[in-house]
Amino acid sequence: MTTTHTRAPSAETKAPRRSALLQRDWSLLAQRLGALGIILALWQAAVLTGLLPSITPTVPEVTLGLWTAVTSTSFWTALGQTLSAATAGWIISCVLGVFLGLLIGPLRWLDRSTSVTVEFGRAFPTIALMPVILLLLGATTSMQITMVVLSALWPVLVQSILGARRLDPGIADTVRIYRIPRLLWFRRVLLPSALPFVTTGVRIAASISILAAVGIEVLTQVPGIGRMITLAQEAQRWDLAFAYLFFAGLFGWTVTALLARAESSLLAWNRQASG
Amino acid sequence: MTAPQSIHTGSLDVLGGEVLLDVSHVSMGYGDGEHEKRILEDLNLKVGHSEFVSIVGPSGVGKTTLLRGLSGLLPPKRGTVSVAGQTITGPHPDIAAVFQDYSRSLMPWMTTRENVAFPLQGQGVGRRERNRRAEESLEEVGLSGQGDKYPWEMSGGMQQRVAIARALAYHAKVLLMDEPFASVDAQTRFDLEDLVVNLREALGVTIVLVTHDVDEAIYLADRVIVIAEKPATVVDVIETGFGTVRDQVDTKADPRFQDARGRILTRLRKA
Amino acid sequence: MKTLIRAGWTLWLPVLLVTIWWFASANSTNIYVPSLSRIVEVLWRDISSGLLIDAARVSLTNLAVGLLIAAAVGILLGLLIGETRRLRLILDPYIHFFRSVPQSALVPLIIGAMGIGAAPKIYTVAFACVWPILLNTIDGVRGVEPTIRSVSRVFGVPKLLYFRRVVLPGAMPQVVAGLRVALPIGIVVMVVSELFASNQGLGFYILNSSATFQIPETWGGALMVGVIGYIIVIMFSLFERRVLSWYFRSGAL
Ligand SMILES: Nc1ncnc2c1ncn2[C@@H]1O[C@H](COP(=O)(O)OP(=O)(O)O)[C@@H](O)[C@H]1O
Ligand SMILES: [Mg+2]
Repeated sequence: MTTTHTRAPSAETKAPRRSALLQRDWSLLAQRLGALGIILALWQAAVLTGLLPSITPTVPEVTLGLWTAVTSTSFWTALGQTLSAATAGWIISCVLGVFLGLLIGPLRWLDRSTSVTVEFGRAFPTIALMPVILLLLGATTSMQITMVVLSALWPVLVQSILGARRLDPGIADTVRIYRIPRLLWFRRVLLPSALPFVTTGVRIAASISILAAVGIEVLTQVPGIGRMITLAQEAQRWDLAFAYLFFAGLFGWTVTALLARAESSLLAWNRQASG
Repeated sequence: MTAPQSIHTGSLDVLGGEVLLDVSHVSMGYGDGEHEKRILEDLNLKVGHSEFVSIVGPSGVGKTTLLRGLSGLLPPKRGTVSVAGQTITGPHPDIAAVFQDYSRSLMPWMTTRENVAFPLQGQGVGRRERNRRAEESLEEVGLSGQGDKYPWEMSGGMQQRVAIARALAYHAKVLLMDEPFASVDAQTRFDLEDLVVNLREALGVTIVLVTHDVDEAIYLADRVIVIAEKPATVVDVIETGFGTVRDQVDTKADPRFQDARGRILTRLRKA
Repeated sequence: MKTLIRAGWTLWLPVLLVTIWWFASANSTNIYVPSLSRIVEVLWRDISSGLLIDAARVSLTNLAVGLLIAAAVGILLGLLIGETRRLRLILDPYIHFFRSVPQSALVPLIIGAMGIGAAPKIYTVAFACVWPILLNTIDGVRGVEPTIRSVSRVFGVPKLLYFRRVVLPGAMPQVVAGLRVALPIGIVVMVVSELFASNQGLGFYILNSSATFQIPETWGGALMVGVIGYIIVIMFSLFERRVLSWYFRSGAL
């Protein structure tokens, strides 16, 4: 998972000259919209010709469904519920994962002792524990948050350990020579040094948190956007189900985009320093 | 002042005055017990206040190991290191260090000023005072007004100046330098050498510098300690007698410089 | 001796944790927390009777077929889109959008539309897994050395051969990275789809046990899925090291 995410942004993302950018953007935008039109037209054709299952809603139906969704309060409530459960679980995962990871990473004996356990936790498909946790905690928000934490903790933990391990020996010597106190070392040296790795973990954890929160809602009675999708499907309101799915995607995409932006501004020094 | 025209064989003791750094019967190595790899054997050296001592030896002889011992990063297997009469057991407030790899000892997430002030923050110095001292040290190394830059916005030579400024701001009595100019180009290297010479004169810090570069060792030092062999021991000590002022052209053309150079190179070739 | 010490260092914690679990749960009075010995017992019973083996075979077949479809589609499209700059620019936002859809939300739609057989589960896995593979393949194709490209062009290498012998191997490290990201997603989606509605497979075993209040079986099934997922991921990283040995050896990492 790490290689894909820790790659430095390529030089290609740098903005070209302003005027050229504006011109190119217009034609690109037009082409993107055109592509969207083609995708939608293909969908419509597939529904009409019976290529897709008969219950699949047509493009106008879904469009109407989107409108129905945004104008209903239950949709916004559900979105809020999913968002708050995912966020709560995500924050707990981040705090716990960073703390444990930065504790484990620099201590060789602890690192070695925990490596198998951490590896197991990361590879373990946590969602499989859902029925058990459901038995223990019931279909409650705390069950949902527990599941989110159990799923999202691992990437943060693993990335934090990796980040803490790579503290430069030159910097480690410097810190010892100048007798930097433990707390200051943690805050001003270990944390920033591990940050490029930690943020990757935090970003992966955000996607996983949403995935887990929605998954729990799909499978249990816990309210939220996932539950709305299941209910719409059970009521045969396919237009609404697709609309909710679209918003779930939009939500996931927004979170990913926002985090990527926050990360790149937070880590300006890292991009520069590593050339 | 009547400058002697020939070099002297120096002593491992100070010429006169107080001893600041006292290295006594120090042996160092890696590993324990029968697996131990002995690097340095029974090294003795006394360094006085404001003295500049170079330790020169071939690559891999154990110079970095020795400096890690002097700085308290790596405890000697036997013997003691003491500073101002106090035996050190680990990093000590009177000792600062500048390493060869400047790019790896500065923290890229801190500005230059923050890097220089960071050790002071660790000592609990207030923000204003530490910024003042950082600015002062940056000025001393010729980087006034560059405090807001990040290390990676600077050239290698400038980064090494920052590392020196950080050591100065710490107000340590002894400054240890491990091949500090090995990774910069020749001109920058001369500038940095002269900077260190001037700092020593202006601030009176005591400097112990290790290098594999014989010219550099002679040019900078009052006393040159030559170490060689395996495990390493002191094989020669030379008193340069240049005083506190140096000139890249004149000093290096001085017959004493040439004598010392020939003598050390011959000695190292034998080893 | 050395390896023994190393094994001791890495294994003491897991062993300790399992031991604690074993004894702490031994006299459990909470009916939802059966003793570990009881869980192991029922697991062993259902494994030796072949029940769990069959269930695992069903689940893993669905997973494997879904992943294969995702890999085939993702790599082919990825090669095509990656090589065509314009297409890449146009489709980029859409691919990222689909990549961001919480894949678990697809489950009710696809299963609701297609029923509870194997096909909808395979499609769900395939649909969820195709995006990371596609994105990474595109990245990998883009990363192929421009000099290697122009050399192939100069020598007039035929298009198909060029794809097969130049672009694909060049993009391989990224393709495999995409598979690595897709694998756990596939496992999660497989489990969710089986827990949502199924009549066979590991998810069904868990679902059925909890519905009939067979608590040790529920725990056992969950652990079984977890351990299988773990083994798959570990095996994949071994496979990866094999396939990409040239890449690791060349120090490109
Ligand atoms: N951490 C270590 N463990 C074992 N041997 C070491 C270690 N560091 C250095 N050495 C060995 O000690 C010897 C001296 O190294 P060093 O002090 O770095 O030499 P110098 O700085 O003079 O080039 C070398 O042979 C080197 O291989
Ligand atoms: Mg060295």
